[in-house]
Amino acid sequence: MSLLEVKGLRRDYGALRAVDDVSFELEAGSILGFIGPNGAGKSTTLRILATLDVPTTGTVLLDGHSLVDAPDRARPLIGYMPDRYGTYDDVTVAEFLDFFARAYGLKGALRRQRVASVMEFTGLGPLADRLATSLSKGMRQRVALGRTLLHDPKLLLLDEPADGLDPRARIELRELLRALADQGKAVIISSHILTELAEICDTCAIIEQGRLLATGRVDDILRQGAGIAELELTVRLAVGAEGEAAWARAERLLLEQPKVARVTRDGNSLRVRVELASGAGTEAMDAAAAALLATLVSAGLPVCAFGTRERNLEDAFMTVTQGRLA
Amino acid sequence: MQTAEVAPAPVAVTSSRWEQWSDRVNPLVIKEIRQGLRTRVFWVCFGLMLMACTLLALLAYVQSQDARDFSRAGRDFFLAFFCCLSVVHFFVIPYTAYRSLAREREEETWVLLVLTGLGARRILRGKVSSFLVQAALYASAVGPFLLFSYYLNGISLPSVLVVLGLGGAWLVFLTLVSVCAATLADGRMGRALVHFMLLAVLVVALGQGVGISFMFGHSGDRVLRDDDFGLGLATALMVMLTHGWLLFETAVARLSLPTENYSRGPRLAWGAQWLLGLVGGGAVWWFAGRSHAVAEAFGVAGALQLGVVGLFVATDVDGQARPLRAATRPWSLLRPGAVRGFRLTVLLLVLWGAAWVVLQSQSGMVTYNAESMRMAMAALPLYGLLYLSGALLMGRLPRSNRAASPVAVRVLFALAVVLGSALPPLLALLVGVDADDPLINLLNPLVGTVNFGTQTSGGPKMTWGLLQFLMGVTFLAVFAADRVLVERERQAHQP
Repeated sequence: MSLLEVKGLRRDYGALRAVDDVSFELEAGSILGFIGPNGAGKSTTLRILATLDVPTTGTVLLDGHSLVDAPDRARPLIGYMPDRYGTYDDVTVAEFLDFFARAYGLKGALRRQRVASVMEFTGLGPLADRLATSLSKGMRQRVALGRTLLHDPKLLLLDEPADGLDPRARIELRELLRALADQGKAVIISSHILTELAEICDTCAIIEQGRLLATGRVDDILRQGAGIAELELTVRLAVGAEGEAAWARAERLLLEQPKVARVTRDGNSLRVRVELASGAGTEAMDAAAAALLATLVSAGLPVCAFGTRERNLEDAFMTVTQGRLA
Repeated sequence: MQTAEVAPAPVAVTSSRWEQWSDRVNPLVIKEIRQGLRTRVFWVCFGLMLMACTLLALLAYVQSQDARDFSRAGRDFFLAFFCCLSVVHFFVIPYTAYRSLAREREEETWVLLVLTGLGARRILRGKVSSFLVQAALYASAVGPFLLFSYYLNGISLPSVLVVLGLGGAWLVFLTLVSVCAATLADGRMGRALVHFMLLAVLVVALGQGVGISFMFGHSGDRVLRDDDFGLGLATALMVMLTHGWLLFETAVARLSLPTENYSRGPRLAWGAQWLLGLVGGGAVWWFAGRSHAVAEAFGVAGALQLGVVGLFVATDVDGQARPLRAATRPWSLLRPGAVRGFRLTVLLLVLWGAAWVVLQSQSGMVTYNAESMRMAMAALPLYGLLYLSGALLMGRLPRSNRAASPVAVRVLFALAVVLGSALPPLLALLVGVDADDPLINLLNPLVGTVNFGTQTSGGPKMTWGLLQFLMGVTFLAVFAADRVLVERERQAHQP
């Protein structure tokens, strides 16, 4: 049985439908990336999952407890980290964590031990006596993550956790999240930094205008663009008016080819989008690329480099959203 | 990078007695006191207050040495020391409490606190308690000086105790007002408006607090010996206590999650306030020799207060969260939802009006305007209900939700009352009759009430028939509003 089951989630604010019929499942120990542009409904969904908001319709079961009908029972299983760090002035890191541990009802030695283990896990030990507000963004992010872990939740909800972090802090955050997933915690990360998510997440859900457009394992989502490939080729052409005419001829020649859907010029390289029938495999794609290269060479174009660009989550996102955000 | 296991391990370490005690204390109290004692505001205020008191004490000492006869400077110095404390107690503490909670909401740390399971009530209780502890710390610094002033003579111990007691109640009330104010606005503009309004209120409250303490201090035992003083003091304390409770519960409700039974606290406090008002007022009426004036004052003031609070209770949102619906019965008037809030308002207003009309009719000595005042006391709650129902019908009857929000309905109510009070007199002048014409102003909440309470040489200006007509119109409006709210709740609960 999945740890989290979301079925037919809908949230209306008057006439505005912020979330529309969202359904997905999440296993313990897996990381789900929630992808979508600003205003897509990511934060609303996360707020509902955090029991801060109530859906208009739909059910959410966390470890068998309904988040809608019995939120008090489900709340101890949830760790929610909003996009703001939420630290206090004039409070040290240790005091901050101690306060939240008390708030979660942890008492005496158990509380001390829990705070210590969270500080060790997040690497905050050396900073225990520093004021939380004097820390760097990355460190404050760790304090916020530490607070989320104090009550040992089963589900972590992280709203834009990598936003504003430097590359080093992002890598460290990624490692922390991986470690948490290895401990059996389910993690949902909402983000619009797609490359970041591809490296962290096992599964992802693409949401736009409140609707879930695609959900599943990252590999499956990437495969949703099967039949589409982008080829990158570099050609050496003369400069000046003569060269411009040659560029135009090359572009025209490419567009005349049956599988080519789009050609874009970038400096002295051309990017060609080749579209085959939906579900076409790698072999068909390779054959189409070879045929295209042969045509270009036989037409006398000086091709210096030729290759297929690897598809990433960004491409999958644009495919799934049909490029509406482009 | 370390990624140690974060799961808890069994604990065998015993806790110290101090730790066991601190575990029982509200976590907010510990956090806020820790935080508060590190702030510059605390130490600057503490230092300045201590310095001012020391200077005053030195001055008092020099004066007492110079005094040829028996010194009576204690009263003035007591008030001077109390003034120093008042600035902190009536301004700094409430304002800091407001800022603390407002920042909690602005920085969204409030959400994190709520998710811990502490609950809005415990969090706010912790906030208020922590600021009262800080107030006690300030008071501990001024305490020896106040005692010193007592030994300078000129002020009696009962006067000192009364001033300090009232000062303490005023401090608690202002802290609760500030905490409630911090929950009022959500938008940036609204917050700025509330901020400035609270600053103005606290400046006025500081002036009032100091002024009243001066009055008590200067009048000395004379005021304390006055028969009405105890009654006035008890009434003031009761008003502060019950309104403080209501404001606290309102703040809790404003900060509760939608899945919680947020309306129970404020409605319970309101009901208790109603009952205390009725019982306390009844006692005052009885001990004042079943006085007409007491019945009329309580009847009118209570109806006005119920009308204002009822406006907020009856304009709740439609329906309630799914977890609460199953256990809700038609008489569950404390549960969320506009329909139950409206019914509670109707019940309390009608019962209040009826109770005081009965008590007024049972009053001892009959006055010349007793009958007209009785009609006015009955008319006032009716006008309240009529205009409240009208606002609800205007806001929530149309299919469009544009004017259905709680704020929009309150604005509609205010507009309706203003127009309903201003237009009929103008209409009366246009048609060439007196501006306060009884018939044209029959539905005018202001002139209508005054007309019902007016006694002419020939008897009451209005008749019981007109009151019955008003009653009928109000009944229809209330019924229609109730049906509209029931229908809207049904729609809100539909999937």
